[in-house]
Amino acid sequence: MKIRCALTGFLCLLAITLASCTPADKTAAHSANPKDNILRLFNWNNYISQETVERFEQTCQCRVTQDYYSDNEELLAKLAAGATGYDLLVPTGNAMDTLIHQHALRELDKSQLPNLKNIDPNYLGTVFDPDNRYSVPYAYTITLLGFNREKLAGLGLPTNSWAIIFEPKYLEKLKGRVTVLDSQRELMAAALKYLGYSANDTDENHWQQAKALIIRAKPYWAAFSNTSYIRELAVGNLWVAHGYSNDMFQAAQDAKKTGRHFSVDFTIPKEGAVLSLDSMVLHQSGRRPDLAHRFINFMLEGQNSAELTNLTGSGNPNLDARPYIHTDIVANPAIFPDAAQSARLEMLEDIDHTQRRLLSRIWTEIKLR
Amino acid sequence: MNKLRLTRWLVSLPPTLFLLLFFAAPSLLMIVTSFRYPGEFGGLAPLSALETMTGEGDSGLYGLTLETYHFFFSDILYAEIFLKSFAVATLTTLICLIMAYPVAMLIAKSEKKYRNLMILLVVLPFASNFLIRIYAWMIILGPESAFSHFVNNILQMLGFEPVMLLFSPFAVIVGMVYVHLPFMILPLYTNLEKHDPVLLDAAQDLGANRWQRFWLITWPQSLPGVFSGAALVFIPVLGMFAVPDILGGTGDILIGNLIKDQFLGTRDWPFGSTLSIMLMLTVLCVAGLSMLLARPRTSR
Repeated sequence: MKIRCALTGFLCLLAITLASCTPADKTAAHSANPKDNILRLFNWNNYISQETVERFEQTCQCRVTQDYYSDNEELLAKLAAGATGYDLLVPTGNAMDTLIHQHALRELDKSQLPNLKNIDPNYLGTVFDPDNRYSVPYAYTITLLGFNREKLAGLGLPTNSWAIIFEPKYLEKLKGRVTVLDSQRELMAAALKYLGYSANDTDENHWQQAKALIIRAKPYWAAFSNTSYIRELAVGNLWVAHGYSNDMFQAAQDAKKTGRHFSVDFTIPKEGAVLSLDSMVLHQSGRRPDLAHRFINFMLEGQNSAELTNLTGSGNPNLDARPYIHTDIVANPAIFPDAAQSARLEMLEDIDHTQRRLLSRIWTEIKLR
Repeated sequence: MNKLRLTRWLVSLPPTLFLLLFFAAPSLLMIVTSFRYPGEFGGLAPLSALETMTGEGDSGLYGLTLETYHFFFSDILYAEIFLKSFAVATLTTLICLIMAYPVAMLIAKSEKKYRNLMILLVVLPFASNFLIRIYAWMIILGPESAFSHFVNNILQMLGFEPVMLLFSPFAVIVGMVYVHLPFMILPLYTNLEKHDPVLLDAAQDLGANRWQRFWLITWPQSLPGVFSGAALVFIPVLGMFAVPDILGGTGDILIGNLIKDQFLGTRDWPFGSTLSIMLMLTVLCVAGLSMLLARPRTSR
């Protein structure tokens, strides 16, 4: 009897909470209401400094809420499944291309973005958005090689070429200590670059050559890994990893902080690599484009933009931010490449559905063999 | 009597509706999706654009096509993945059975007051998140872990090359067994607990030894529990993608990973749906088979 009473009480409580929740949610949904000062961000994990967010909240007298994604596919999949209400997204070029073609983005009003002048012109007018009608560059990463400096020096292996993850003569000394990205496009791009083709090459013969190269090297690799290589590199379990520059930066920091007897370093291979430029765009479903514009302009200020780079080691297309960035980061050619290296970087473009299916078929074969 | 039937109907109506809505409807959607064309930017090609789509290849009727099925059956590669997933699922189920049976017997034979505590211990791992537990295995099996050192020291003493435990098929099986073991223990326990000890006494009186008592009395009676446990392990393992993703090496792709890839990386919903349907059909076959196997034993 006692139990039943308690149960009824609990149910009543539940009913009350639910009832009191609904009206609050409703007002949130109808946020044409100007008092509802909330900017909704849909951003990468760990891709903005908390201090920056707090400072923006103070200047705009509003609140910033964030949801996170860990790759572009997740972003696109969630939006395709009907996620709405986001004012601002930060997709990479090819995902942005898809969003533009889906008419999912709102055009920018550049009169509200005076700080746009701070952006390095080299990062404006990409193939995805030639006139920057929809997008403002936020930060970039380079897909490159991270390695255990002391180990590789000891083994006398080169660190400036993709050869180290593709050539059996080098891999023999690294068996089980190498990971590559679990990403069809990124790994193919590395193989294509090593073979001397463009990362955006869609010639099937070239893809087959890249497949053969990958299958030949695969027995020496420990795993396909998208995130765990950060920790494994920093701990010393891995000696070479194919991955993103900001992840390598984090691995290097972790190794330094925990006082390891080795250091993690990263370089752009001489054959060239993939550049991923992430841009701020306005989603059609956003209810506060005014706040979103203010946020973009705010993030274009040198100091705010620099905080991101100091936190994550991401590349920074903002010229005004340079003075605020730690000198060792600015001096790192794998984060701020020189002109010659920049010329060898390529951004991945989207491929059509028949090419995607063919690539998936090749990928499945790579995994199974 | 009539009133009782009405109550039964009323009580079973909500779950039935729930199943219809959340199982049948998505399955139907999946079947329809598998016959459509993929969209240029992911998702599905709109039905209205079928004129342009059909111009490219085989003529689809009303924007529907069999191309994904053609693609699936024209390539031995996909059959290989199915076979491999079946092998992994079968092995996991067998190991789970061998490990779970003694545990379930132990619990069933313990004093009543300890049983609930033991059951609690079996399900306790569910209290922490599945992914965290799998990540814990990454640490346990990592090359610098105490366990790895121990195993490799023994191997070296026996004159073998040291091995990498993490990122291997071995790690995948360990992860799979670890996650699914309770699903084998619980049905086995509920079955074993109901056995009448008098039968064992009678067998002993008739001169059966320990081994004979187990094979002739306990094992046949426990078969329904074995089959339901096997189904509870086999079917989820067949579709699992997280464990091979995290613990597996460069060759550990299972059907679940392939399906996940179709919806995320490749954005090919029709082919992903086709793979899911094929998986569902095989799972239904397995479930049907295990029901058939379980039936005659229980009616005996």
